[in-house]
Formats: sequence, structure tokens, C-alpha cells
Amino acid sequence: MLSVEALTCSFGGVMAVSRVSFSVQRGELFGLIGPNGAGKTTLFNLITGLSAPTAGRLRYQGRDITGLRPHRIAGLGIARTFQNVRLFGELSALQNVMIARHVRTTSGLVGGVIGLPSARAEERETRRRALALLELVGLADRPDERARNFAYGDQRRLEIARALALEPELLLLDEPAAGMNSGEKRSLGGLIRGIRTRLGLTILLIEHHVPLVMDLCDRIAVLNFGELIALGAPANVQRDAAVIEAYLGDEV
Amino acid sequence: MNGRLFLQQVLNGLAIGSVYAIFALGYTLIFSVLRIINFTHGAIFTLGAYATYALTGSQFGINGLLAGATLPVRLPFVLALLGGSLVSAVSGVIVERLAFRPLRTRGADPLLTLVSSLGVAVALVNVTQYLFGAEPYSFPDPLSELPSAVNFGTAGQPVLVRTVQVVIFGVSIVMLVLLTYLMNATRTGKALRAVAEDTTTSSLLGIDTDRLILLTFVISGFLGGVTGTLIGLSVGIAGPYFGIAFGLKGLAVIVLGGLGDIPGAVVGGLVIGLAEAFVPAQYIAYREAVPFALLFLVLLVRPQGLLGRAQVQKV
Amino acid sequence: MATFLATYDFLLVSMALAAVLALTLYLPLMAGQLSVASPGFYALGGYVAAILSTKVFHPAPGLYPVSLVLIEMAVAAVVSGILGIAVGLPALRLRGIFLALATIAFVQILGVVALNLDVTGGAIGIFGIPQPFGSQLQYMWLAIPLLLLSMLFVARLERTRTGRALIALREDELAAAAMGVDPTYHKVLAFTASAVLAGAVGAISAHFINTWNSRQGTFDTSVNLMAFVLVGGSRTFVGPVVGGLVLTALPEALRGVADVGGLPPWFAQFLRDGRLIIFGVLIALGTVFFPHGLITPGLLGRLGLGRRTGRV
Repeated sequence: MLSVEALTCSFGGVMAVSRVSFSVQRGELFGLIGPNGAGKTTLFNLITGLSAPTAGRLRYQGRDITGLRPHRIAGLGIARTFQNVRLFGELSALQNVMIARHVRTTSGLVGGVIGLPSARAEERETRRRALALLELVGLADRPDERARNFAYGDQRRLEIARALALEPELLLLDEPAAGMNSGEKRSLGGLIRGIRTRLGLTILLIEHHVPLVMDLCDRIAVLNFGELIALGAPANVQRDAAVIEAYLGDEV
Repeated sequence: MNGRLFLQQVLNGLAIGSVYAIFALGYTLIFSVLRIINFTHGAIFTLGAYATYALTGSQFGINGLLAGATLPVRLPFVLALLGGSLVSAVSGVIVERLAFRPLRTRGADPLLTLVSSLGVAVALVNVTQYLFGAEPYSFPDPLSELPSAVNFGTAGQPVLVRTVQVVIFGVSIVMLVLLTYLMNATRTGKALRAVAEDTTTSSLLGIDTDRLILLTFVISGFLGGVTGTLIGLSVGIAGPYFGIAFGLKGLAVIVLGGLGDIPGAVVGGLVIGLAEAFVPAQYIAYREAVPFALLFLVLLVRPQGLLGRAQVQKV
Repeated sequence: MATFLATYDFLLVSMALAAVLALTLYLPLMAGQLSVASPGFYALGGYVAAILSTKVFHPAPGLYPVSLVLIEMAVAAVVSGILGIAVGLPALRLRGIFLALATIAFVQILGVVALNLDVTGGAIGIFGIPQPFGSQLQYMWLAIPLLLLSMLFVARLERTRTGRALIALREDELAAAAMGVDPTYHKVLAFTASAVLAGAVGAISAHFINTWNSRQGTFDTSVNLMAFVLVGGSRTFVGPVVGGLVLTALPEALRGVADVGGLPPWFAQFLRDGRLIIFGVLIALGTVFFPHGLITPGLLGRLGLGRRTGRV
């Protein structure tokens, strides 16, 4: 589904990501872990086009997507959430989700403003789908509430709803459990499993909370200092010597 | 084009350019420390020019609130220059306290500060106009003992540059050297550069950021006042609105040289001066568009300017 | 009532046109772009109308046909739109201050060009632009519909897919792109719409003011527009409209106060001539005390005029 080939990204001499290669299979729940600053978010930025790689290639469903701009990649069916929640704070929860319907809808400027029947119908449909997604993540009770007013954990779930509005086939979640308590984490785990099954998604997950990753993921890749140091089933990775060393001092 | 004509145009270009350069020095200094574009620099330099004029005991024109007034002092030119530049410096500080500091403490977008400075500049220039009227003023000539022009050519093929323009060029180089020395070789300069990097960390390290920012505005305002007076001396004061015109053209200079880059201000000024001087005769009417065309081009092609470093955007 | 309208005919039409121009600053701002390029397109539109009416169309003597004015507006709109795309595509890759500076440069360049071309009349400009109406007040027949249509357009825009895309770009351009919104397309779209509208206003204004030269559509105009939007409100289309109306009327109102008498002469003079001082101070105050302007969606909501919270 997604193929990362010798991907490298350096910022002014710092190798944020260095010759990383792996593949993600369709329908997999693939975890990406590593100490802080290992290059996980940079890798996400590379996959979604927010950063350009210095070397290497990215392939999605067989197609070369290296260097494509973010909105094109979104249009191909890759959606993401952000490490530091990047919701449209001043807009309502509903509007946040509705915006992400952009690539799946077509009303233009003129049609929309005039209020052509097709545009109006599309608008209604967009609302309906957005509300359904809010329902899916459990936030349907406050659709018109400003996004910035939501509790941190709820904001993260709102971001997931927004990403889902893209009707993606590949979903990238960047530390979705950050700042959540254990109850919320369990609930999130359930949500992620649920959307994988119900929506047939392939999910790439960056997460620091290792038990969650071990529990959810089919396979895990471990990054350290921008390099891939381990790849495989959770149980194997957990026992890998290089991984243990990288995490020395961190809770495992 | 013969050699003499070429030399004349080069010298003209350097002459105009050095005026832009001193103006830009104060302008870019603020950016180098605070990362904001202070459009009021133009208004303040106008105030300085008018203040110097007043301090020489000259009489104001017939328009404006202060029509026909004179100050009860009559200072020799150099002292008036210093006094006028002090007025500029103080005005700069007042503007900083009232308009910029509230935005700075709130961490406001530099764009908002630019907009605010546009408003303050327009207000100040119009207050100046309200007080002094819009008619031109010319300074009593302090350089009357010196020959009126310097000859860079030969007696038979003169290549003349007005003495005042040579003085201005000299001043711009001196100012450049002084400022560069200040920024790179003194403790104050190091502290200023620390503030430029990160204001919060600097104050945590015990640097008195407020005092340093004050100092920056004092220096910048003083330079502005000097510039205004020198231009007034060179071509006369065309009216308070020349502060806006300079403020606008100054934008081109500092962006071309590199925002915040002190040698860049001089390079930018000289380049634009030369560009204006070398506009072919048949396009002379479009000369005023040259700085802005250059500004537009630089923004598209190399926004960090000639001497600036490219900035990497962190996602 | 009749005498009021007759006395203030020039002012009322100016207010309406100013409100439309304020919207031209608002449109790119919806996408988070501060562009002060509209005075340039305003000047261009005026020149198109002036040139067409004085040099190209040769109507019969008497009142100039309104239909020709409408044609001029259309041509001005198209020319502005084309220039808008041509300038917008390269310029809108810039962000923040750099974009603002580029648009300032654009207006300056246009001004110098206008000052020097023969077809634009050089420094003198074009005068004696034909009048489609017998009285200045009748220009309201053009100004008011244009104002209402633009208000309607922008109000509708905020509730459509395209409008949402613009607002998302304003809130967080990177996140918007990651959600599928093409930043370049939308920024150029907003910029071009703004140019088209400014051009149309320029075309009307050329007839309204009867002459057109390089003193129309300058940096001063940019400052006025910034005052309208900054003071009026930058988060809802109502803001710039009210800002434009009120701030255009304000100098006139102050002049009225000055004429009442009993004021010290210097203060009266200040009230009469101090428009730019007041605007400048308002801009500075605005950035500190009300950066989103006086009319915010929150205010509209509290007055029962807006929609529920969260809708911008």
C-alpha cells in the first residue's frame, strides 16, 4: 500500500530522517515508535508532502508520490492528524470536519454562491456526513461549539473525525493518545480498532505510550536518530537489543 | 557611453544611494533586533529634519498652525543637527512605548506591528503637516565656506559631485562602520544580537531587554534625524510627505539588502541608487518605479535579499 | 429629507463605494492574506472607464448612456481580473509581511506607470469624463446595487465549500492543505475576486469624480482601506462595510462639529483636516485594543444578528 524507499530528509546538515525503508500492507495497523526527536513526525511530514525529502522515494498504491504537494496527497486518500493538534480553532467542530470534505466535493465558487440546486444538495450531504463522523468519535452533542473550547482529549478525537472526512484509505495518526488518561487511552484504542475494521483503513500510528502500540499494532517500526533500527511484530521488537538500548532510561 | 559620463552616473548613483543607505541603516537596525518593520522611521526622520530646521532659528512657512513662528534659539548647524536628531530619537522611543510595546508583550504577529506602524507614520506625518504646513523648506547652508562641488575628473573634463553629497556618502560609511562595530565587537552589540535571537531567553539570562530595545530605538531615531537633516540640506525638505515616500522606498532598500542586515542596508541603498542613476534617458519618467520593481522582483526570487540568509521553514 | 440627500449626495455615494472597496481588502483577508493591492486595481478600473468613455465610445451629446457605464464596468472587471491572476500567481507564494510588501510595491509601480503613459493622460490624467446621471445622488443607482451584491456575494461565500476553504487557510494554511485544500488556487481566487471588484468600483468612480489621474488609488487609499477593515472588523463581512461607511462619513461629521462654532480655532482646524491623523491613530489603537475590529462575529451574535457561536 505504502512503500517508503531509502527516504532521507536533512535540514541544514541535520539528518532528521536517514535512508528509511519499509512497506505498509493494506489493512495493517502499523506502529512507528522511537525516542523523542527520532524523526517520526518528520517521516509523517514527508509522507504527507509537508516536507520534501532530500533523497529517496515514496510510493502509494504503486504510484510515485514523492514531492507531491500536501493537498494532492490528501486527494489521493492519505489523511493525518498532528502531534500538536492543528484544528481550526475559531471554527466549530462541525465546520472543522466539513472542511475536510473538500476533496470529495466539487461545488465551485459561482455555483456555491448562487446556490445552485446541486451545490445545495452537496452542502446538505457534507453536513450529514460531518455529523455522522462526529457521532462516530462521540462528539455529536456539540457540533457548533468552537473547536478551541474542547478538552484536549476531545480535540484529538475531533482531529481524527476531521481526517476521516477525507475518506482516506491510509490514515496517519501522530501521537493521538498524548495527554489522555488511561481510560481515554483505552477508549481511543477501541476507536482506532473500530475505524480500521468498519472503514477498511490502513493505519500508521506514531505513539509514545508503548503498551497501546504493542496492543494495537500488527507490526512496528522503530526509529532512532532518523534511522530505522528495528521492524517487525511487537513481541520481537520489544526484545530487540538495539531497541532496548535506544530506549534506555525511558519507560518500556 | 564614454568614460566620463559613466563615471558621472556612477557617482550620481552613489550619491543618491548613500542617502538611501543611511535611511535604511536605522530602518534595518530595528528589524535586526526586533524582527519588525518600523514604517514610522520615515515619519520620525521628517520630524528630525523639521526640528533641526527649527533649532537653527529659521522661520516656519506661511501654512500650518505654527505659521511664521520661530524658536527663540539660533543654534549653529551642527548643534541644531544634534538637537534635531535627539528629537527624533525621543520620538522613536515614545512611539515604541505607546504603539509597539503592547504588541510585543502580546507576541503579536509582525504583520500587525507593520500595520500599526503604517497608521502611526501616517498620523505623525499629517500632524507634522498640520503644524508646519506642506510647503518646502530649505536649510541655511552650513557648508558655504567649502567649495560647492568636488571634481572627480579633470579641469577640462569635469565630473562634479556636490560637496554635500560627498559628505553624505562619507557619513553613510562612517555610520556603517560604527554600527557594525557596535553590533559585532561590543558587549552591548552581543546583547542586542541575543535579544534578536530570542527575547525571552535573553531576559532570563539577565539581559535587560527593555533597556536594549530602548537603545535600539534611540540609535535608530537618531540616525533617522541625521538622515532627514542631511537630505534637507541636500535637496531641501519637500514637505512632510517625503517621510512617507522615503518610508516606502526604504522598504525596497532593506528588503533588497536583506532584512535586518546592516551592511545590507548600505549595499541595498547603493544598488538602488545606482539603478536609478543608470535608467536610460528615454525611461527617465519611470525612475521612481525602479526601486519598487526591484522590491517586487527580490521578493519573488530571493526574499532574503542580497546579503541575507535563506530561512528554512520548520513544520 | 430631500435637502439632506441633496446636501450629502457626494458623501453618500462615496460612503457606499468606500464600503465596497473595504470588501476588496476583506476578500484576501478571509484566506489570511493581507493584500493592499486593491487601490491598484481601483486605479486601473478607473482608467479603463475614463479611456473608454472619452476616447473609444463616442456617444451622442446629452447624458452618457448607463448601459455603456455597465459595459465599462465589465471591461474593467475583466482587465483587473486578468492582471489579478497574472500578479497573484507569483505574488501569493509569499506570506505575511512579504506579501504585504509585494502588494505595496505593485501599487507604487502602477502609480508611476499611470503617471507616464500617454493614454492615461500623464500627470494631468483624464478629465471631462461623461456623466450618465443628471445629479450626483443618482449614482446611488450604481453604487447601492453594487454594494448589496458584493455583500450578498461575500455573505454567501462564507457558507460555501470555497468560503470554508478560504477560512481554513486563514486559520492554519498547513493543516488546510493537509486536509485537501489547494492553497495557491484559493489564494489566487480570493485575490482575483478582490481585483475584479476593485476594478468595477474604479470604473464607477471615474464617472462619479469626473476626472481620473494617478492620485486615485495610491498608498493613501491602502491606509484608508486598512482603517476600514481594522476598525470595522476583519472577521465578518459586516465589519468592512460598516467601517467603510462610518469612516468615510466621519470626517464630514467632524467638519460639521467644527462648523458649529465656539471651538478654539486650532481644534476646529484639526477636526476639519485631521482625517488622516484620526485614521492613523485608529489603526494604531486598533492593532492594540481591537485587532479583529469592532464588529466581530461574537458581537453580531450577541445582538442577535449573527449566527450561533462557531460560525464565522
